[in-house]
Amino acid sequence: MLHSKIIDLKKEKIEVNKAEEFISSSKFGASLIFKGTVRETNENKKVTGITYDSHDAMVIKSFEEIYSEIDQKLKIKDKAVYIEHVKGYLGLGEISIIIAVACPHRAETYILSRYIIEEIKKRSPIWKKEHYENEDSEWLKGNPIQAN
Amino acid sequence: MKVKLELFGASRDLSDKDFLEFNLEKKISIKDLKKKIINYVDQNFKGNENFKKIIETSSFCSEDNNIISDNYKITKDQKIGIIPPIGGG
Repeated sequence: MLHSKIIDLKKEKIEVNKAEEFISSSKFGASLIFKGTVRETNENKKVTGITYDSHDAMVIKSFEEIYSEIDQKLKIKDKAVYIEHVKGYLGLGEISIIIAVACPHRAETYILSRYIIEEIKKRSPIWKKEHYENEDSEWLKGNPIQAN
Repeated sequence: MKVKLELFGASRDLSDKDFLEFNLEKKISIKDLKKKIINYVDQNFKGNENFKKIIETSSFCSEDNNIISDNYKITKDQKIGIIPPIGGG
Protein backbone atom coordinates (compact mmCIF):
# COMPACT_ATOMS: atom_id res chain seq x y z
CA MET A 1 0.00 0.00 0.00
CA LEU A 2 1.56 3.24 -1.19
CA HIS A 3 0.64 6.90 -0.93
CA SER A 4 2.96 9.31 -2.75
CA LYS A 5 2.53 12.99 -3.44
CA ILE A 6 4.31 16.25 -4.13
CA ILE A 7 2.98 18.98 -1.88
CA ASP A 8 2.94 22.38 -3.60
CA LEU A 9 3.30 24.75 -0.66
CA LYS A 10 1.42 27.48 -2.53
CA LYS A 11 -1.68 25.29 -2.35
CA GLU A 12 -1.39 23.02 0.70
CA LYS A 13 0.63 21.97 3.74
CA ILE A 14 2.53 18.80 4.54
CA GLU A 15 0.99 17.12 7.60
CA VAL A 16 2.38 14.34 9.75
CA ASN A 17 -1.02 13.29 11.14
CA LYS A 18 -2.15 12.28 7.63
CA ALA A 19 0.88 9.99 7.36
CA GLU A 20 0.13 8.45 10.72
CA GLU A 21 -3.48 7.79 9.72
CA PHE A 22 -2.46 6.21 6.41
CA ILE A 23 -0.07 3.66 7.90
CA SER A 24 -2.23 2.84 10.92
CA SER A 25 -3.45 -0.77 10.87
CA SER A 26 -3.69 -3.66 13.32
CA LYS A 27 -1.90 -5.78 10.69
CA PHE A 28 1.30 -3.98 11.59
CA GLY A 29 3.20 -4.21 14.85
CA ALA A 30 5.74 -1.49 14.03
CA SER A 31 5.62 1.91 12.42
CA LEU A 32 8.19 4.62 11.83
CA ILE A 33 7.81 8.21 10.68
CA PHE A 34 10.85 9.94 9.20
CA LYS A 35 10.77 13.72 8.72
CA GLY A 36 13.37 15.72 6.85
CA THR A 37 13.54 19.35 8.06
CA VAL A 38 15.41 22.52 7.15
CA ARG A 39 18.66 22.84 9.11
CA GLU A 40 20.08 26.20 10.19
CA THR A 41 23.64 25.66 8.91
CA ASN A 42 25.24 24.02 5.91
CA GLU A 43 28.97 24.05 5.16
CA ASN A 44 29.51 26.80 7.76
CA LYS A 45 26.88 29.06 6.20
CA LYS A 46 23.89 30.32 8.14
CA VAL A 47 20.81 29.11 6.33
CA THR A 48 17.50 31.00 6.59
CA GLY A 49 15.40 28.72 4.37
CA ILE A 50 15.31 26.42 1.36
CA THR A 51 13.34 26.55 -1.88
CA TYR A 52 12.59 23.07 -3.22
CA ASP A 53 12.01 22.42 -6.90
CA SER A 54 10.85 19.15 -8.44
CA HIS A 55 9.96 17.47 -11.71
CA ASP A 56 6.66 16.28 -10.25
CA ALA A 57 5.81 13.49 -12.69
CA MET A 58 9.30 12.00 -12.56
CA VAL A 59 9.42 12.23 -8.79
CA ILE A 60 6.13 10.37 -8.41
CA LYS A 61 7.34 7.81 -10.94
CA SER A 62 10.55 7.34 -8.94
CA PHE A 63 8.58 6.89 -5.69
CA GLU A 64 6.43 4.22 -7.37
CA GLU A 65 9.48 2.45 -8.78
CA ILE A 66 11.24 2.47 -5.41
CA TYR A 67 8.11 1.04 -3.78
CA SER A 68 7.64 -1.64 -6.43
CA GLU A 69 11.25 -2.83 -6.01
CA ILE A 70 10.93 -3.38 -2.25
CA ASP A 71 9.44 -6.88 -2.51
CA GLN A 72 12.34 -8.13 -4.57
CA LYS A 73 15.23 -6.18 -3.06
CA LEU A 74 14.29 -6.18 0.63
CA LYS A 75 11.85 -9.12 0.76
CA ILE A 76 9.36 -7.02 2.70
CA LYS A 77 5.91 -7.98 1.47
CA ASP A 78 3.47 -6.63 4.06
CA LYS A 79 3.90 -2.89 4.38
CA ALA A 80 2.32 0.53 4.21
CA VAL A 81 4.42 3.32 2.77
CA TYR A 82 3.58 7.03 2.77
CA ILE A 83 5.90 9.45 0.96
CA GLU A 84 5.32 13.17 0.56
CA HIS A 85 7.86 15.79 -0.53
CA VAL A 86 7.28 19.51 -0.72
CA LYS A 87 8.03 22.01 -3.44
CA GLY A 88 8.30 25.71 -2.70
CA TYR A 89 9.87 27.73 0.12
CA LEU A 90 10.42 26.42 3.66
CA GLY A 91 11.81 28.22 6.70
CA LEU A 92 14.06 26.71 9.37
CA GLY A 93 12.71 23.60 11.06
CA GLU A 94 9.89 23.09 8.56
CA ILE A 95 9.25 19.67 7.03
CA SER A 96 10.48 18.94 3.52
CA ILE A 97 9.76 15.21 3.39
CA ILE A 98 7.75 12.61 5.29
CA ILE A 99 8.42 8.92 4.88
CA ALA A 100 6.09 6.87 7.04
CA VAL A 101 6.29 3.09 7.00
CA ALA A 102 4.53 0.29 8.82
CA CYS A 103 5.37 -3.43 8.80
CA PRO A 104 4.60 -6.46 10.93
CA HIS A 105 7.97 -6.23 12.76
CA ARG A 106 10.29 -3.38 13.83
CA ALA A 107 13.45 -4.49 12.03
CA GLU A 108 11.70 -4.20 8.68
CA THR A 109 10.54 -0.64 9.34
CA TYR A 110 14.08 0.61 10.03
CA ILE A 111 15.44 -1.07 6.91
CA LEU A 112 12.55 0.12 4.76
CA SER A 113 12.59 3.74 5.89
CA ARG A 114 16.36 4.05 5.40
CA TYR A 115 16.19 2.36 2.00
CA ILE A 116 13.49 4.72 0.74
CA ILE A 117 15.25 7.97 1.74
CA GLU A 118 18.59 6.83 0.31
CA GLU A 119 16.97 5.84 -3.00
CA ILE A 120 15.09 9.14 -3.19
CA LYS A 121 18.39 10.99 -2.74
CA LYS A 122 19.86 9.03 -5.66
CA ARG A 123 16.90 8.85 -8.02
CA SER A 124 14.21 11.50 -7.50
CA PRO A 125 14.58 14.76 -9.43
CA ILE A 126 14.32 17.22 -6.56
CA TRP A 127 16.52 20.27 -6.11
CA LYS A 128 17.31 22.61 -3.22
CA LYS A 129 18.13 26.29 -3.33
CA GLU A 130 19.49 27.44 0.00
CA HIS A 131 18.92 30.98 1.22
CA TYR A 132 21.50 32.54 3.57
CA GLU A 133 21.59 35.23 6.22
CA ASN A 134 23.46 37.64 3.94
CA GLU A 135 20.57 37.36 1.43
CA ASP A 136 22.58 35.29 -1.03
CA SER A 137 21.12 32.05 -2.28
CA GLU A 138 22.58 29.05 -4.06
CA TRP A 139 21.40 25.88 -5.78
CA LEU A 140 23.07 22.99 -4.01
CA LYS A 141 25.36 20.69 -5.93
CA GLY A 142 23.81 17.27 -6.36
CA ASN A 143 24.46 13.98 -8.10
CA PRO A 144 23.84 13.45 -11.81
CA ILE A 145 20.87 11.19 -12.54
CA GLN A 146 21.58 8.38 -14.99
CA ALA A 147 19.51 6.76 -17.74
CA ASN A 148 18.39 3.21 -16.79
CA MET B 1 10.84 22.06 -35.60
CA LYS B 2 10.38 23.55 -32.15
CA VAL B 3 11.88 22.15 -28.95
CA LYS B 4 10.61 23.47 -25.66
CA LEU B 5 13.28 22.89 -23.01
CA GLU B 6 11.67 22.77 -19.57
CA LEU B 7 13.97 24.11 -16.84
CA PHE B 8 14.41 22.63 -13.37
CA GLY B 9 16.70 23.23 -10.41
CA ALA B 10 19.83 25.25 -11.16
CA SER B 11 18.93 25.48 -14.86
CA ARG B 12 16.05 27.80 -13.93
CA ASP B 13 18.67 30.57 -13.73
CA LEU B 14 18.94 30.40 -17.55
CA SER B 15 15.64 32.24 -18.02
CA ASP B 16 12.93 34.23 -16.26
CA LYS B 17 10.48 31.74 -17.77
CA ASP B 18 10.15 28.05 -16.92
CA PHE B 19 11.50 27.06 -20.32
CA LEU B 20 13.70 27.91 -23.30
CA GLU B 21 12.59 27.45 -26.89
CA PHE B 22 14.80 26.37 -29.76
CA ASN B 23 13.77 26.51 -33.39
CA LEU B 24 15.66 23.80 -35.27
CA GLU B 25 15.92 23.15 -38.97
CA LYS B 26 16.67 19.44 -38.75
CA LYS B 27 16.55 16.43 -36.46
CA ILE B 28 19.12 16.61 -33.71
CA SER B 29 20.40 14.47 -30.88
CA ILE B 30 20.47 15.42 -27.20
CA LYS B 31 24.23 15.78 -27.58
CA ASP B 32 23.65 18.46 -30.23
CA LEU B 33 20.88 20.10 -28.19
CA LYS B 34 23.41 20.50 -25.36
CA LYS B 35 25.67 22.39 -27.77
CA LYS B 36 22.74 24.68 -28.70
CA ILE B 37 22.11 25.41 -25.03
CA ILE B 38 25.79 26.18 -24.49
CA ASN B 39 25.64 28.56 -27.49
CA TYR B 40 22.65 30.21 -25.83
CA VAL B 41 24.75 30.68 -22.65
CA ASP B 42 27.61 32.13 -24.70
CA GLN B 43 25.27 34.63 -26.34
CA ASN B 44 23.12 35.58 -23.35
CA PHE B 45 25.38 35.11 -20.32
CA LYS B 46 28.84 35.87 -21.76
CA GLY B 47 29.79 32.21 -21.62
CA ASN B 48 29.09 31.90 -17.86
CA GLU B 49 31.18 28.86 -16.87
CA ASN B 50 28.88 27.86 -14.00
CA PHE B 51 25.91 27.69 -16.35
CA LYS B 52 27.93 25.66 -18.86
CA LYS B 53 28.92 23.22 -16.14
CA ILE B 54 25.28 22.77 -15.16
CA ILE B 55 24.41 21.90 -18.76
CA GLU B 56 27.35 19.53 -19.15
CA THR B 57 26.46 17.63 -15.97
CA SER B 58 22.70 17.51 -16.60
CA SER B 59 20.62 14.64 -17.85
CA PHE B 60 17.59 15.12 -20.06
CA CYS B 61 14.10 13.63 -19.99
CA SER B 62 11.45 13.01 -22.60
CA GLU B 63 7.78 13.99 -22.52
CA ASP B 64 6.92 10.54 -21.17
CA ASN B 65 9.20 11.15 -18.19
CA ASN B 66 12.08 8.87 -19.11
CA ILE B 67 15.72 9.83 -18.82
CA ILE B 68 17.12 9.84 -22.35
CA SER B 69 20.67 9.30 -23.57
CA ASP B 70 22.92 11.68 -25.52
CA ASN B 71 22.09 9.69 -28.67
CA TYR B 72 18.31 10.20 -28.38
CA LYS B 73 17.05 11.87 -31.57
CA ILE B 74 14.58 14.71 -31.49
CA THR B 75 12.55 14.29 -34.66
CA LYS B 76 9.43 16.41 -34.08
CA ASP B 77 8.10 19.31 -31.99
CA GLN B 78 8.41 18.22 -28.40
CA LYS B 79 9.12 19.09 -24.81
CA ILE B 80 12.42 18.02 -23.29
CA GLY B 81 13.26 18.49 -19.62
CA ILE B 82 16.73 19.36 -18.39
CA ILE B 83 17.57 17.49 -15.18
CA PRO B 84 20.56 19.00 -13.37
CA PRO B 85 22.30 16.91 -10.68
CA ILE B 86 19.71 16.08 -8.01
CA GLY B 87 19.73 16.29 -4.23
CA GLY B 88 16.37 16.48 -2.51
CA GLY B 89 15.09 15.04 0.72
